[in-house]
Amino acid sequence: MPFETAWIWQKKFQESLIEKPFSPQAVWFLEHFPCYTIGRGSNTKNLLFEENKSPIPLFMIDRGGEVTHHMPGQIVGYLVLNLGLYKKDLFWYLRELEQALIDVLDLLGIEGKRGDGLTGVWCEDKKVGSIGIGCKRWVTQHGFSLNVDCDFIGFEKIIPCGLSKVKLGKLSDLIPGIKVCDVKPLLRESVQKRFKLKWENI
Amino acid sequence: MATHDIFMPALSSTMTEGKIVEWLKKPGDKVERGESVLVVESDKADMDVESFQDGFLASIVMPAGSSAPVGETIGLIVETADEIAAAQANAPSQAASQEKESSPPPVQEKQTSFDSPKATEIPKTSPAPLVSESSVNQNQFLNDGRIVASPRAKKLASQMGVDLATVRGSGPHGRIQAEDVQSAKGQPISVPWIAESNAPAKIVSDAPRIEKKSVDSGKPPTPGKSFGSRGETIAFNTLQQAVNRNMEESLNTPCFRVGYSIITDELDDFYKQVKPNGVTMTALLAKAVGLTLARHPQVNAAFSSEGIAYPSQINVAVAVAMEDGGLITPVLQNADKTSLSDLSLQWADLVKRARNKQLEPQEYSSGTFTLSNLGMFGVDRFDAILPPGTGAILAVGASLPKVVAAKDGSISIKKQMQVNLTADHRVIYGADGALFLKDLAYLIEKNSYSLSS
Repeated sequence: MPFETAWIWQKKFQESLIEKPFSPQAVWFLEHFPCYTIGRGSNTKNLLFEENKSPIPLFMIDRGGEVTHHMPGQIVGYLVLNLGLYKKDLFWYLRELEQALIDVLDLLGIEGKRGDGLTGVWCEDKKVGSIGIGCKRWVTQHGFSLNVDCDFIGFEKIIPCGLSKVKLGKLSDLIPGIKVCDVKPLLRESVQKRFKLKWENI
Repeated sequence: MATHDIFMPALSSTMTEGKIVEWLKKPGDKVERGESVLVVESDKADMDVESFQDGFLASIVMPAGSSAPVGETIGLIVETADEIAAAQANAPSQAASQEKESSPPPVQEKQTSFDSPKATEIPKTSPAPLVSESSVNQNQFLNDGRIVASPRAKKLASQMGVDLATVRGSGPHGRIQAEDVQSAKGQPISVPWIAESNAPAKIVSDAPRIEKKSVDSGKPPTPGKSFGSRGETIAFNTLQQAVNRNMEESLNTPCFRVGYSIITDELDDFYKQVKPNGVTMTALLAKAVGLTLARHPQVNAAFSSEGIAYPSQINVAVAVAMEDGGLITPVLQNADKTSLSDLSLQWADLVKRARNKQLEPQEYSSGTFTLSNLGMFGVDRFDAILPPGTGAILAVGASLPKVVAAKDGSISIKKQMQVNLTADHRVIYGADGALFLKDLAYLIEKNSYSLSS
């Protein structure tokens, strides 16, 4: 799935939720072709190449956080939710997203934890889950990424999240052979429970 | 005729400060109610902030890139184009000077939160009902029974001449919201989408918090160390003898000293971010010095009988006092090329082995530049003696809050650290030392984040 397509979908749902607060919220679990995305407040110094010479597509997008990398083998979760129906508190929302990921890891028998003062989910000292969201009138977009069995080569050209020497990890390091299709159903369940969602025609 | 403030919104009940990522409108632009005016970021979350009013963006009080406490005025909206000039004239002077420069240096931007008169007014007027221990609130309760209102409601009330005692609050626990003030005055209710703050007005605590850090030297002083009792003469130990030899030898070196005050607010922010990864302040300073030496090879050079010797590596030695007398200078090799976390790990290992006297000569004698830090004791400045065989040593004092005047005459409180370079004048000249310090200051003040490269 190309990044642009998913971004357009999110925008559509975000707009409709701003217009009509009770219209359907939307959640996607996807994998992207290799690309970099960079938040509006990000430091382009974290790109170890010139902005217009990116080896793969680079998107400047409307979320918080620094540059990150998406690629097959990594699940991205996008949630367009109206926080007006939950709690108008973005830190709360970030913690809820982390908990949704930690719950999934728990179901897999892995201990996931939060970083001290940092957003994201770690297994031991390796970051497996990253979070970055954008919000307009308390309607969210973007969400999280979870490394399952992806190739980290693309991360060598950036400083992920602007944290040098952040060690990245993936679930297949801990559970050899695990695939995206093994994790998606667990994510679906965990996100559904956490945000009390009812799925329709997905 | 009315001017409406855009406040730093609370993206979370626990948020105290937000960063302005981008202004989507320029001063003078027309804005519609509900239209996004700027983007605010806190942690990993971005929020579009919308206008709650039709009108024109008159003034940007806090420019992109700066941070402001929740509830702080960050921009002004007026209802008609004619009012723009008047609002701009009344806006805090900082705004005017910043609009002229397209990308003002970050040091100046940060000052706004201190020198804007609004920053000091808000704490006095906001009741901060959720902060129970705040002493500022006590008077508030005495005056009018118990008025609990949002900062914006307070502000509106004073602008519109509404007595808050007569307004019924519709917020949580009867808290008075901006809409309540407007409806009390009979104005159409314009819902401030998120420009309304519902966070504890923690603004109050910002200034005192800085002061607290500065008085950590107020801990009861520990008694000074002595190696012998009164009336005794104690023989020097081996390490002390080595230090003595070096110090006496240094008298043959014609040294000069040059000092610089470096603002460390950005470095401190960066340190907070990387600390969870085990990065230490020693590693940060060594890396900053290493990277700067790479650009100033003359300051890394040393006198030799053949001429000026330029070492092949940049090895930063850091002075460590030994418990039983003497000092040792373990060396961080290739400090310019080693990552912060590796430097931190190496440093922890070196110090541990130094205490156990397990260092190899190579590990404490290969320094090409020395760092001596007495900042942890609250020392504000000192000068160091140059270790023989090297060209320069940097004495680092504590980073302490200081009242700083900027070029434009504005005053703010910044954390400042004094450093003092001692250098061998046969190799390094005054201008070399000065340029080195200027570059080091630039790196620490404006570019700390590049230390992670």
